Amino acid sequence: MFDIHERKRPEMGMGGRRGGGGGGGGGMMGGCYIYDENQRPNDTLVTPDVTFRRSIYMNGSMTMDDGNTVTIWGFNDGGGGMMMGGPFPSPAMRVTQGQIVHTQLSVPMCCAHTIHHHGIEPGWESDGVGHISWDVSGTTYTYQWRPMHPGTYFYHCHTNTVLHAEMGMYGALIVDPPEGVGTLYSGGPTYDMEAFWVVDEIDSFWHTLGWTAGTCGADVGLNDLNPDYFIITGVDGARSAMNAPGIATTMQVGQKLLARYICAGYHPQRIHFGGLTGTIHISDGRVLPRPVQVTELRAHSGERYDIIFEPDTPGEYIISCEIRHWVTGEVLGTARTRITVE
Amino acid sequence: MKRRDFLRIGSAGLAGSLLGGSGLLAWTPRASAATIDRTFYVTEGFITQIDGTDVYFRGFSSSPNGLNVPGEALIVQAGDTLRITIDNTLNVATSFVIDGVVDSGPIGPGQSRTITFTVDTPGSYLYHDGLNAPHNRLLGLHGGLAVMPSGSSNELYPGSPTFVQQYFWIFHDIDPAWHDRLRRGLQPNTAYTPRYFTLNGLSGRPPGAPGNGDPAIDSMHDPRSALHGSIGDRTLIRIMNAGLAAQSVHTHGNHMEWLTENGVIRPDVWEKDCLYLDGDKGALDVIYPFEVPPDSWPPARTGEYPMHLHSEMSQTAAGGYYMFGAITDIFFE
Ligand SMILES: [Cu+2]
Ligand SMILES: [Cu+2]
Repeated sequence: MFDIHERKRPEMGMGGRRGGGGGGGGGMMGGCYIYDENQRPNDTLVTPDVTFRRSIYMNGSMTMDDGNTVTIWGFNDGGGGMMMGGPFPSPAMRVTQGQIVHTQLSVPMCCAHTIHHHGIEPGWESDGVGHISWDVSGTTYTYQWRPMHPGTYFYHCHTNTVLHAEMGMYGALIVDPPEGVGTLYSGGPTYDMEAFWVVDEIDSFWHTLGWTAGTCGADVGLNDLNPDYFIITGVDGARSAMNAPGIATTMQVGQKLLARYICAGYHPQRIHFGGLTGTIHISDGRVLPRPVQVTELRAHSGERYDIIFEPDTPGEYIISCEIRHWVTGEVLGTARTRITVE
Repeated sequence: MKRRDFLRIGSAGLAGSLLGGSGLLAWTPRASAATIDRTFYVTEGFITQIDGTDVYFRGFSSSPNGLNVPGEALIVQAGDTLRITIDNTLNVATSFVIDGVVDSGPIGPGQSRTITFTVDTPGSYLYHDGLNAPHNRLLGLHGGLAVMPSGSSNELYPGSPTFVQQYFWIFHDIDPAWHDRLRRGLQPNTAYTPRYFTLNGLSGRPPGAPGNGDPAIDSMHDPRSALHGSIGDRTLIRIMNAGLAAQSVHTHGNHMEWLTENGVIRPDVWEKDCLYLDGDKGALDVIYPFEVPPDSWPPARTGEYPMHLHSEMSQTAAGGYYMFGAITDIFFE
């Protein structure tokens, strides 16, 4: 079913409480630092206003503009067992400020994963961090949260995060104010349309690894991310993102576009707005004390910026996001999309 | 060379900061300026990493037989005079530099020199060896200096948002190939590829790992790094990057109030869950507010959360070992 590239290393000297090796790992993961042994139901649950169900897939793929495909893992909408492939990014979660939300994650015995709602700050048992609570394996676990700050977030797996998030296990998470879609936050600006710019880099080699690679003691190169593809919201930023719906935008003078930019990669990014000026109203799900006008922006892994564009001049504006090496600052690649103003 | 003849880093640091007795930075303001004397012994040795690799380091150490990476945190107040004696036990030169404040110039092999200077501007500083920059600093010759506003116990700068306790988070990244070349007096001849990542000199030892829970080994439980607080215990964290890799500092549980970037006070305080920390001496000052995690239901007053770098390569060691990188835990008590 999966390539398990890592092998057991039972003599790692781990005594007492340790990761892995539990039944949830199917007996394959002895010696690996996976935390599925203390799983128990969430005892904080109340009746939710909204429930999301997520299963996992680890056999998806993404075809790049050069014709190559890379393996993608992610979450599917709905519970149950593993499915053949799935959407990338994973299905978005969209909720209203103040709702009590359940995320039900179902993971087969094959493997272990979690959901961490990045930027959402719930109780520890709903935070999805394996070594603090547990990795979910062979069961369905329910996370409970009540988002109190509107803005752009994302959810991602927090098991062996370095690999699993790189493999694609993430999706957008939007918190709307009570006014609903079209208003950024209560008392804040409105918008007419949205674009999702989830900018990420892909290292094809990493995408050949098994799910425990990096937890069992072997050197699998996870200190060194050498990306060869640069993508926006699951679409190759070489060419395809220039015309992908929901990423590229065509709008009229007088309309307001809200761009929800998520730095989903691990190297720093610099995004240029191609001559447009945008206004940042929210970053990381928090309204700025004073909005800030920018023509470009730098961001690092996990940051989000909610930017409103109100262009007054027709034209085609190329949005380009450079992914820069975390040590040298060298531009490793550029992902592009556009805003066309008519 | 004192091969393996070193204190495990952290154990010496636990003896306390310059004026404080606990793991985190303890501080009692004074009505008037003082002169602070301190001796650092520049020492060298090997530190064994999780995969068994011995990596060469140098440190501003608190004793001639120790190896402190980073050096012990100093906390003083604006107007104080610092009299720092550098006792160089090595057979190569060293220096003591605080950018914009003081530069000792080269201190030769076996030499000892006392540098006297006054700190005027409150804030967070990195002291480091400026020779062969960034090489000597990368080898471990760096540490944090906190300068409190005169007479203040709860501000970063006069009028800043206030806090009740403070920490240093000094991040570092390590390319053992560079350390080995530098030990042998050679220039690095490979692209810098960090392979180990530390917070205040230690890295994570997750549950089940050797050293898990040992405050001298495990950055998740090092009292200099792990945040402990009850609701309302607003905590200043002075974040520095002694390494070369740009990092994204990410907290769970609460957002961080972002006060400064690279020593410059931000025009507005933004609340962020990820902050861009520049490589090569980047710096941030933040307050972790220890508020009830805002999206918890029922409202959570206790719990444990991680701080980790979201530039996730830094969460590994030796190319694997996820969670054995620069990470700590945050305890709501
Ligand atoms: Cu996962
Ligand atoms: Cu995250």
